[in-house]
Amino acid sequence: MPPAGIWVDGLVQSCIYMTMAFGMVLVFSILGILNWTHGQFYMLGAFVLYYAVTAGIPFPLGLLVSGIVIGGLGMLFERIIIKPLNTPPYGALYVTVATLALIFFFEGAAGLAFGLLPKGLATVLSGAISLGSFDITYQRLAVIIFTLVVMSAMYFVLSSTKVGLAIRAVAQEPVAASLYGISAARVSVTVMGIGCALAAMAGGIIAPVHSVEPFMGRIPMIMSLLAIVIGGLGSLTGAIVGAIILGVLNSVIAYKISFWSEVVLFMLVIIILLVRPQGLFGAAAK
Amino acid sequence: MIIGRRYIDYKSLLPKIVAGAVVLVLAIFPAIDHSVVTLSILISSGIWGIAAMGFTLILRTGQFSMGQAAFMAIGGYVAAILTVKLGVPFWPSFLASGVLAGVVAFLIGIVVLRVGGTYFSIITLAFGEMVRIVITNWESVTRGAAGILLRPPAPIAIGNFEINFATSIVPYYYFMFLLVAISGLVFWQIDRSRIGGTFRGVAANPMLSEHLGVPLMKYRVIAFTVAGVFTGLAGAFHVHFISVVTPLVYGLWQSIQIMMMSIVGGISSIVGGSLIGAFALYTVSNYLTRVPIFNIQYLVFGAVVVLVVLFLPRGTGIIDLWSRFWRKVFKDSDIYEEFSTD
Repeated sequence: MPPAGIWVDGLVQSCIYMTMAFGMVLVFSILGILNWTHGQFYMLGAFVLYYAVTAGIPFPLGLLVSGIVIGGLGMLFERIIIKPLNTPPYGALYVTVATLALIFFFEGAAGLAFGLLPKGLATVLSGAISLGSFDITYQRLAVIIFTLVVMSAMYFVLSSTKVGLAIRAVAQEPVAASLYGISAARVSVTVMGIGCALAAMAGGIIAPVHSVEPFMGRIPMIMSLLAIVIGGLGSLTGAIVGAIILGVLNSVIAYKISFWSEVVLFMLVIIILLVRPQGLFGAAAK
Repeated sequence: MIIGRRYIDYKSLLPKIVAGAVVLVLAIFPAIDHSVVTLSILISSGIWGIAAMGFTLILRTGQFSMGQAAFMAIGGYVAAILTVKLGVPFWPSFLASGVLAGVVAFLIGIVVLRVGGTYFSIITLAFGEMVRIVITNWESVTRGAAGILLRPPAPIAIGNFEINFATSIVPYYYFMFLLVAISGLVFWQIDRSRIGGTFRGVAANPMLSEHLGVPLMKYRVIAFTVAGVFTGLAGAFHVHFISVVTPLVYGLWQSIQIMMMSIVGGISSIVGGSLIGAFALYTVSNYLTRVPIFNIQYLVFGAVVVLVVLFLPRGTGIIDLWSRFWRKVFKDSDIYEEFSTD
């Protein structure tokens, strides 16, 4: 049995994957495409936070700034690139090509603008809470609490506000929603903004734990994509559960057999696909 | 088709003559220019072209593979480990690398292609990263980040004449030429045959095809496996050509590059589009690596591909400009259909 600290580490990782996967699924359910650049918004969010904190802005405010800046960038991204491309019959193909190409555009741009060396952010919340046999640093605790707050906020927004109602309506039946006066275009932009802001804030909250560098977005992106596969494409609950499974298992298995844990997780995803092709929470056919 | 009455159609003959002349020039190219720089650009674009052909074949069935470089990595590492660590001669190791890459593609295909679509893209993407992580960390077999160094293949003696890979780059060029010719022929034949037609049907309407009794899985797996075999062979040859293999040679960037080559070259023609796309992008990236700003390659590539996708009409690759050019020359529309069919 691995020590409790390993489990907590896994939980911290799954919080990040969860926030990212949630944004991706939200975007997928409205726009019908996956945003493959999501990991790079996570990376840019971390950079915005890094520069905000170095400029003297307090950490929570910096987190908000990075969410707003990157959320705005995401909205612009939807308007300029995704919307013109996402037309039938080959829309999904061209959006995929463009967003994949933008992975490298953003990584290259970040490398040029901010440098390639990893940047360490000084721990903002120092100290640790002692829980019997092990300690949790406040920084890690902050990640978990932040995720809980964000997820509850998202639940509230989706279930009991007008915006959330519009999002759910468009996700369910775009044509009928537009007949009731909901602008699908505006919902798309909103959702993209929310998704990118979530990714940016996830990058920001984890920045003091890890270091900030241009290629930091790849592994979280792949892990959250796998979480989406486990949970079923289009299911928000599935994304959350998938992220918890992947994050915790990755940490626990890696404790025993180091890098082979990636292979084990990959096999696990394959087995889940074999047994339940639509994912754990996916609808039977879509 | 008119039977009995034959006449020479100059309009359709001329483009074919031009294309044939290009192939002929490429066949005798080392006699014109045998500088290492030019030939290595051509060899590399041929190798990446084969990988791009594999990608296009998978795309024919409507699936979007994002981990093609992983099959090059498997092929390359199998070839390297067999020749360097186990002392297997060049040819058996070369063929074994293709077979093993094909087996891996088959095993992944029979599971993941059942669901297809976005799931397939995600799984292939994750597979590519997983292969990279394993070869970086499994140091007892792959030597990790240090990579494996290879010696050139043993000379082949034909009578008094000896093909020596160690002294000149020209044998590599002809090896590439042969490999591209064989794989191009296989891909072209598959694409124009009944199977190729079924691929398109499966892509255009999976549900209808299934109801007509076409086994979706069978055709998707065929495409993925054939692509895996040839991508593995290309990887094995690539490793012998650059004579070193490290985990950095095949990563996410290379997978995406293969995809870009296929899309930029044009997916309407499986052989021509892939080769032209590979040549164009490889040449650009080769010149960009000489710019002394690290990362500029990523930036320019990403921007160019997005601009191409945004501003060129949909479905336009470089190969489509070719048929458009001839349509302009003859101011005739039926010739366009003649070329767009293959």
